[in-house]
Amino acid sequence: MNRARAWLLAYVAAVVAISFIHQPVALAAGLAVALTAAGAARWRLLQRAALALLLVNASVSLAYAGLAWWQGRPLGDALLLINLRVLLLVYLGFWLVDRVRLLDALAGWPVLSMIATLALGQIAVYRRLLDDFRLAFRSRNPAPPSAAAMLRHAGAQAGSLLDKSLHDAEQAAQAMRSRGAFDA
Amino acid sequence: MHIPDGFLSPQTYLPAWGVATVAWAWAGRGLAQRLDETLVPRLAMLTALAYALGLIMLPLPGGTSGHAIGVAALALIFGVRLAFLAYSGVLLLQALLFGAGGITALGVNALALGLVGGAVAVGLRRLLARCGDNVAVALAAFVSLQVSALLIALVLGVQPLIAHREDGSPLFFPLGFAVTVPAVLLPHLLIGIGEAALTVLVWRYARRKGWVAA
Repeated sequence: MNRARAWLLAYVAAVVAISFIHQPVALAAGLAVALTAAGAARWRLLQRAALALLLVNASVSLAYAGLAWWQGRPLGDALLLINLRVLLLVYLGFWLVDRVRLLDALAGWPVLSMIATLALGQIAVYRRLLDDFRLAFRSRNPAPPSAAAMLRHAGAQAGSLLDKSLHDAEQAAQAMRSRGAFDA
Repeated sequence: MHIPDGFLSPQTYLPAWGVATVAWAWAGRGLAQRLDETLVPRLAMLTALAYALGLIMLPLPGGTSGHAIGVAALALIFGVRLAFLAYSGVLLLQALLFGAGGITALGVNALALGLVGGAVAVGLRRLLARCGDNVAVALAAFVSLQVSALLIALVLGVQPLIAHREDGSPLFFPLGFAVTVPAVLLPHLLIGIGEAALTVLVWRYARRKGWVAA
């Protein structure tokens, strides 16, 4: 078993184990251990995890707190428990991706590897193209653009994205064909 | 709308993983024969589109998040099995790279969004074929998103009932059906219009390119 796969399996085992822990103190201790073990990357990973969960968890926590207040029920440590658990799980996910190459970890599953390879390639194409379009649009519009100009820009960008990503994916598929990836 | 890690109890996600594993095995059967150098680029392109759509999220108080998913386009063009596999890959990447969704919730998310969403889209388009192509595709995409959203809302809403302390305080997702169903479904009625329009655009693009029969 390669190192990346061992990390992935350890991560999955940890995630399942954490979902059986219902004491905030134990979860906080787990987070402290994970932070210590992550070394210099710990604060960067923690910040990323906190930002990722802020979006969804803040709205759910506020809704629950509002409902409990409206119904006159005590909040207890429910919100602390839920948010700590989610923070620890997201942190572990980011730590995994920081430590190992995802494609190495998925190497034992051919279908999953292929889908991940193609999707990651396409994502890189999309990101590059979006950056190009954004910079070009900004350079053409020293003053704030009108809504119609933004709509025209978005339409042109969407069409180019589809054509460009198809072209790139075709090239990737031809390369895979020449290396025997589709030979039964 | 996919559920993040930490919101689902083991009583929910472990059986869901079991069902999803069987479904993945079914969807992956004979995959090598179906994939070739013409299908793979198209699948890669629309899979990346679904990935991008899933990251433009609107937080929903009382739910999780709202967004278009692109599963209907995948399913209508490539069939339910490929759409399910491709979208499962999207969910895995989103969970690991962005913390959107999660490993424990992957089974539920893949089944509700990828499998059920895809199957509803394909089935409904066949049923509505006589209404005209654009209308059938739009309605199929719209309804498939609503069905997926409803399933997600029900799975979230059942958590306080099946996983709580003796004093009734929740251990996982804290809000019941009365909150989750409207909180998830109502915004998705609006998002569904966007999903339907996008699916029609992608469908027409696919037809123009000759990927699907006119």
